[in-house]
Amino acid sequence: MAAGGVHQLAQCITCHAWNADLSMVAVCPNNNEVHIYQASPSPTSAWECIHVLQKHDQLVSGIDWAPMSNKIVTSSHDRNSYVWTLEGNEWQPTLVILRLNRAAISVDWSPRENKFAVGSGAMSVCVCYYEEDNNWWVSKLIRKKHHSTVTSVAWHPNNVLLATTSTDCRCRVFSAYVKGVDARRDATTAFGDIKFGEQLIELDLACGWAFGCHWSPSGNSLAFVGHDSTIHFVSDVGPTPRAHSLSLRHLPLRDVLFLSETRLVAGGFDCNPMLFEIDQNGVWYTTTFSVETCISIFEYSLYVFAAAKGRFKWLGNEVAELNLPSTTHENCILTIAPVISLVEKKAEKPVTCFSTSGMDGRIVVWDMNNLGDVMARLRL
Amino acid sequence: MADEEDATSSVQDADTFIETESPEVIIARIESKSRQVERLLRLPQYTEALETALQDAPSRTKDERCKSANWILVHRVLMASKDGEALLATLNPEYFDILMKYLYRGLATGDRITCDLCLKLHEKLTEKAGMGCIMRAISDTRNVV
Repeated sequence: MAAGGVHQLAQCITCHAWNADLSMVAVCPNNNEVHIYQASPSPTSAWECIHVLQKHDQLVSGIDWAPMSNKIVTSSHDRNSYVWTLEGNEWQPTLVILRLNRAAISVDWSPRENKFAVGSGAMSVCVCYYEEDNNWWVSKLIRKKHHSTVTSVAWHPNNVLLATTSTDCRCRVFSAYVKGVDARRDATTAFGDIKFGEQLIELDLACGWAFGCHWSPSGNSLAFVGHDSTIHFVSDVGPTPRAHSLSLRHLPLRDVLFLSETRLVAGGFDCNPMLFEIDQNGVWYTTTFSVETCISIFEYSLYVFAAAKGRFKWLGNEVAELNLPSTTHENCILTIAPVISLVEKKAEKPVTCFSTSGMDGRIVVWDMNNLGDVMARLRL
Repeated sequence: MADEEDATSSVQDADTFIETESPEVIIARIESKSRQVERLLRLPQYTEALETALQDAPSRTKDERCKSANWILVHRVLMASKDGEALLATLNPEYFDILMKYLYRGLATGDRITCDLCLKLHEKLTEKAGMGCIMRAISDTRNVV
């Protein structure tokens, strides 16, 4: 596997998602459109825009691409979702009425792709499923459980449990068992028999907004980040969860992704992905991935300040030409997506390649098999 | 480490605080801390005095008297020590976050001498504890000092 590349696609990218065989990537360039690029994780490839999906009225806030059924679901600030299916060479949208009165913020396909969840600013979560009789996506709401906007949603591998993070600083786990869609036996989990919308765990660990929750491949662990520069790991997710928190030196994180049971990557306002690993005693710690450059954002802000001051004094480009510390991202990372094709995807196989997108409009592909290259790039 | 919540726990309003101790108990504790701090300041062991003052800071309570009483104590230590660098050099990292909150409280007073001092300490503490420490101090709206 080759080392990944850097692709400048827009001014800002709110979210992105890969398709099943990694030949295409769907990107929202910070507006109401979704652009689909002919892409590849290899570093030398040139990406080309092949489709533009225009149906939303406002900013698209979430994209998820179902690998098995090849359907794209998008959520938007216009309070609706669309499910896009490829017919011939055209992407056909199907409107999903979410019954929300605030923006939809995030979206995630369930592992079996028969449901998807949407987090919203209306303090509720929509669980949507397809009703064959009516040829229609139905939205079922989990209401009155959150006290603020739901920033992210994540499905447990068992297709029934749903984790959410919210700006009321908490992470919660719900049952999203839908009668008639899920098999009867799926309702029996570690929590016993569960009904739709039941809150199973509430984690009050962060002291700031909570973002970006993600389950480990087995579903035993859960991680989320707080806007107070903390990251929280929950293991043994069941009736008696164990939690472990880390306070970071750096600016807050925005999104997390489990690469395997023992490895996790997180990215955020520090512009560099950080790698976390678990030791034998079950304690998570930061590994070196981005430590060398962790001061860069601080230095960078000093440079920017000096450059602005220089311009103010009519010193022109003198200061601006200073060698800026180059990180591959130059602004906050918003989304981290795994880069793994459907054929290779197995629960026990670690993800070795992932991509990040952020406010600088770049998508960067990182390959763990070629860490030397990545490190070299970080030290530029 | 962090506390865990049971599966059956009910949702609580984000603004409700769990009043674990009555303000009188907290005030009494701050008074006993105060005597210990004065003793340490006379030695003088500034860092130990600061750690004592920061220990069990009443951030969970809503009672403003408790908060001010502890701030006066922290302020007393900060003003007494001349050398900010030495003060922070051996400070236990677990107190970084709470000290940062007090520095912001100091900056909010508007008092010239206090602000000067807090700003200097702020710079030194940021060097040691990083930007994350500032984020924790300003984003935490529930545990205010």
